[in-house]
Amino acid sequence: MAKGFFTDTTVCIGCKACEVACKEWNQLPDDGLIFTGMSYDNTVQLGASTWRHVAFIEQPAATKEDPALGDFSWLMMSDVCKHCQRAGCLEACPTGAIVRTEFDSVYVQPDICNGCGYCISACPFGVIDRREDDGRAWKCTLCYDRLKDGMTPACAKACPTDSIVFGDLDELKEKAGDRVQQLRDGGVEEAYLYGVDEVGQPGTEGLNAFFLLVDEPEVYNLPPDPVVPTKKVGSAWTSAALAAAGVALAAAGAAVMNRGGRG
Amino acid sequence: MGDGGAVSGFTDLEDDGTTACGCWIYSGSYKDEVNQTARRRPATQQTWVAPEWGWAWPANRRLIYNRASADPEGNPWSERKRYVWWDEEKKAWTGEDVPDFIADRSPSYEPPADATGIDTLAGTDPFIMQGDGVGWLFAPNGLLDGPMPTHYEPQESVIENPLYGQQCNPARTEYRRRDNRYHRAWGDPRFPYAITTYRLTEHHTAGGMSRWLSWLSELQPEMFCEVSPELAHEKGLTNGGWATVGTARGEIECRVLVTERIKPLKLKRRTVHQIGLPYHWGSHGRSTGDAANELISFVADPNVLIQESKALTGNIESGRKSKQRRVVTSGPLGDGNGPARDLPGASARPRASRGVEATGLLGGEP
Repeated sequence: MAKGFFTDTTVCIGCKACEVACKEWNQLPDDGLIFTGMSYDNTVQLGASTWRHVAFIEQPAATKEDPALGDFSWLMMSDVCKHCQRAGCLEACPTGAIVRTEFDSVYVQPDICNGCGYCISACPFGVIDRREDDGRAWKCTLCYDRLKDGMTPACAKACPTDSIVFGDLDELKEKAGDRVQQLRDGGVEEAYLYGVDEVGQPGTEGLNAFFLLVDEPEVYNLPPDPVVPTKKVGSAWTSAALAAAGVALAAAGAAVMNRGGRG
Repeated sequence: MGDGGAVSGFTDLEDDGTTACGCWIYSGSYKDEVNQTARRRPATQQTWVAPEWGWAWPANRRLIYNRASADPEGNPWSERKRYVWWDEEKKAWTGEDVPDFIADRSPSYEPPADATGIDTLAGTDPFIMQGDGVGWLFAPNGLLDGPMPTHYEPQESVIENPLYGQQCNPARTEYRRRDNRYHRAWGDPRFPYAITTYRLTEHHTAGGMSRWLSWLSELQPEMFCEVSPELAHEKGLTNGGWATVGTARGEIECRVLVTERIKPLKLKRRTVHQIGLPYHWGSHGRSTGDAANELISFVADPNVLIQESKALTGNIESGRKSKQRRVVTSGPLGDGNGPARDLPGASARPRASRGVEATGLLGGEP
């Protein structure tokens, strides 16, 4: 059964319980005690030892959600590996370390990963990353070990507002659609789903961890049109073949003309 | 309980050692060996009070003193809003919520003259935790101030009390000592800004526990102050740089977080700037920093002697603390205190290194 996350950013309160629950369950190290000055976000980005990241976006723009704030809004979003339907990391992995699990999630097997790093440049979201001290690539596992025991992933379990909802993908999509409608009926016309299916995001063919947003993807530091690089492999080979054929044709033509010239 | 099962509520607790309980209000949260707080039955499948959505202490009661939702005779004040009522046939309180009253106490019960304890509460006394069983709009006795409420400015304010002729609570307790100097009650020219201290989600009280945890320390790694862009411009504060905040009691250094969440106030036709300070830092732990409480004065409310100085006045200057000068008496810092620190870009952030090299285990200077 395909499992995933529906992250409803409109009810995120920025408590970072997901970040801490993730690190605690997966026993991940901290990655530096550095004050960034970027609102309350001292995590900055996903990485080898940060598999959930809560973004805090302060911007001088009114929101229909909370007009009382005036020309100001404070958006929060818990970011995570998207477990893409068409996963760039998986397709780029030469060792078979990255696999698609029975939960339709994308999982890095740490005992097979050899640290080549091809997956890192193949992720259109910049999610997967190599840990400097052991060289291997790490990212969210969708709590594969917990799912095996019928448990909810640690982040979703810890989320106090149900901003992170875990479940069967079909049910999540239905729930997310209802939520968008509810928000729009309430006047938040900007609400939309990011990466919910292939129609909206052909470059990844849809995300198993998708998001409800109320502003442009770039505002949340998400790519507006992510494309898995391996999607271009087919057309790249076609172009190369055409180019090769063209060169061959030109060479043959030149040879013929050459012969003609001599004759 | 003795058999290892969970009690169904605090009324099951015994004083003979057969039951155990950590905190009485939470007993019953694992009734029937079910995690009652994790229940998520949708609204459509239960009553409007939603008793099966999570759990509320005590006894899964959603509104305390709910006997007051019924009139003295025990009937709902409003049929439309009926909540808890007296069932004359069953001789018991019942309703949508768990009744917060002696279950079988009839509305007509009058306590006899020699009654003691809970028996002194009449059938019309809903506030069962109060000695007299009634709610209080104000405390008629027992308080050193009152009985009617008013607005007082704190011990130190930027303005004169706009609502009431008395500036501060006249019954407050001051501690007049050399190490506890007070600013002027209002309009002190040395301390033009309103300061308030508060908490962050990531740390617990002064951080004595949470600053030892790397997972929490990395989320709020350094002491900082929050200021508006306007104040930052006025005082030359740089986002991510250093500032020194001072009062007559002391001064602290911290990082600067410039944010539009902090708004300048318009008070009596004048702009008043605010400085927000989380109070979670101290000298020990993985993340260390100056303590906001170095700035505050000791002054207490009259009744329970709780500090009333979470709102105070103070000054702020750009740059780190210096032994050569005091924010209190001197102007802005001159050169030689170093430039404001550059912010690390996303790419400059150190990769995970199990947190040791990147930070130095004891925190302090980054």
